[in-house]
Amino acid sequence: MTVAVVENWVEEPLRRFVADARVRLALLLHTSGQVLAQSGFTRSVDVMSACALAAAIHASAGELGKQLDGKPFHVLHHAGKERQIFLAPARTPRGLYIFLSVFDKESSLGLVQLYYGEFVDRLVAAAPPAEPPPVVLPENFEGELNRNLAALFGRA
Amino acid sequence: MSDSPFAEVLAALTRQRGVLGSMVVSEADGIIVDSNLQIGVRGSVVAALAASLYRKARLSAQAAGLGTSSFVQLEAEQGRVCAVGRGDLLLVTVAEARANVGLIRVEMLRATQVLDA
Repeated sequence: MTVAVVENWVEEPLRRFVADARVRLALLLHTSGQVLAQSGFTRSVDVMSACALAAAIHASAGELGKQLDGKPFHVLHHAGKERQIFLAPARTPRGLYIFLSVFDKESSLGLVQLYYGEFVDRLVAAAPPAEPPPVVLPENFEGELNRNLAALFGRA
Repeated sequence: MSDSPFAEVLAALTRQRGVLGSMVVSEADGIIVDSNLQIGVRGSVVAALAASLYRKARLSAQAAGLGTSSFVQLEAEQGRVCAVGRGDLLLVTVAEARANVGLIRVEMLRATQVLDA
């Protein structure tokens, strides 16, 4: 399974997760919706859509959790007929990321949860020292997004 | 202690000599439905991996034309993991190496009637 990353420190943890958990798709993104790494996608437009939707779901679920429970919901799992999604935050020294994974009968929710925990531990261990958070201005967003997609799909 | 329909059978299994814990697990999800575990047994980890192992063993048996698998036993250096399934549920037992696996097997096969109910 091909893994493409914007920042190299993410590659090994993601590669291990995909191999261990046997998932079809995996995506790591900033909370703003900017992609950081992906596995299993073949078209940049799919990555762009998945990032936008994952960031929106994370934001909505977080706000709903705050309203209902006083704190954001942590993990979201949605089971379809053939495929299932697992959406969870990944907190590292570099900041908070969103992790999206799609799996089918080759894997299971239990396995994905198990290896997600290990994935986050590896991310934390691999993360370089924290930098000041980049400011993604609305006018820069599309340029940043295209730059990351180009890096992932070899058009940089 | 849980008062689920599985509590009694899980307690009886875990009382067996050398048994460290037993769980009812969803085969498709690898998630614990109910459990009776001694302290130190990583239930969710065992459940996820045992369900995956059982599912693959079941598919292997079917692919080989042997029908459905009835009882799966993983023998390791310091103990055993046993699993038996009915429908979408699995009964998983973690035991020390000194445990009487024959007795555990009989108890587990008997206990699967509860999974049917």
